[in-house]
Amino acid sequence: MHSSTEQDAADQPVSPRPWGDSLRRWNRKLHYYLGLYLLFFVWLFAFTGLLLNHSQWRFAEFWDRRRQTSDERDILAPPPGGDLAQARDLMRQLGIRGEIDWTTTRNDATRFEFRASRPGHIVEIKADLARNKATLKRIDLNTWGVVRILHTFTGVRMDDARNARDWVLTSVWAWTMDAVAAGLILMVLSSCYMWYELPQKRRFGVIALALGFLSCGLFCVGLRCLY
Amino acid sequence: MRDLHLYFGLFISPFVLVFAVSVFFLVHNWLPKAVPNPAGARSVSDLPLPANLDQLSGRERIDTLKPALDWAHVQGEVGWIQHLAKENRLVVPVTVPGRITTVTIDVARREAWIEEQRTGLASALVALHKSPGPHLVGLRMNWFYMRVWYWLADVTVYLLLFVTLSGVYLWYLLRSERKIGIALLAAGAVSVFSLVYALVH
Repeated sequence: MHSSTEQDAADQPVSPRPWGDSLRRWNRKLHYYLGLYLLFFVWLFAFTGLLLNHSQWRFAEFWDRRRQTSDERDILAPPPGGDLAQARDLMRQLGIRGEIDWTTTRNDATRFEFRASRPGHIVEIKADLARNKATLKRIDLNTWGVVRILHTFTGVRMDDARNARDWVLTSVWAWTMDAVAAGLILMVLSSCYMWYELPQKRRFGVIALALGFLSCGLFCVGLRCLY
Repeated sequence: MRDLHLYFGLFISPFVLVFAVSVFFLVHNWLPKAVPNPAGARSVSDLPLPANLDQLSGRERIDTLKPALDWAHVQGEVGWIQHLAKENRLVVPVTVPGRITTVTIDVARREAWIEEQRTGLASALVALHKSPGPHLVGLRMNWFYMRVWYWLADVTVYLLLFVTLSGVYLWYLLRSERKIGIALLAAGAVSVFSLVYALVH
């Protein structure tokens, strides 16, 4: 049996250009190294994507198994300022960390309601600033809930300009998602280059790639032209 | 193994690009605004509506409305139907990746008012990334093509898992790359677990 390295060497055409060899070598290294670094990220997002698409899978049930507690705590009314600054002040007093979600419109200056969330934990805070009291409703999810939320934890929602990222870890996670996506795009491009450098694999490769592009293109562009 | 890694990888590469490119739109909430169809809205009459439409809900109502939507030449995935009881109207959103059609049905008069909005390629990628998704389990996948997409999205994940596992095997055969590969694999694992730990705890 040939080793993979021997197979690689046999597959590669002889190039008269040293820069071509160098590009090929570094492209292969980029493919291995990036793939290995991103492996666990890709598994996480692929597996959680599967869970999101199959919410009927009973073993991954999390919402019905959530733990809910509530209590009332004393607070000091936060100093005057914007909603975000006041919410952060209350969270600091209550020892809560997470991304702030604005759930209601503030109509009464003495009442302040918002939600702080991070994967697996949601705290609904209802503060009565006149009484210096806050009611906390905590929802804790199981591991399936945590992994599912990791897939969608961006701190923003489509068509909702009010909710913006306000927790540093949400931003770090969002940049991570960007980096994984950019890494996957690079992996795809590097794999296409590696395939193109193997003339004997071109015919079947073109068929596989064309099947992929045709089926995917039907959904991205074709359907709205056909219907 | 090498050939399967190569050919499966090439087949799923456009799907991986769809999922990867749409991440930027989803994470940063960037989407161009929908543009109304320049042809304008249109109306359709004599819709074939069943007499018991007001007694139906959920998937049953969608399935019953399909002949009326076909009559109006509106195809696509039907979303959450809004029932305006006072006016006896139904507002039916119908989505094809890249286009949203709103069909407002006047049940008593058997007429429909149809407005199309072109949402563009970026929106199509986002819609596909989020399909079928965890919501409206009883309603979704009511259009043949979206059922096919549901299947293709699963196939993409399973093939991606195969490609990653076969990739690890192929890398492991390369002795010269083993040390640095293990270091990168460990660095990736530490990055994922430390980030997840910081987010959750």
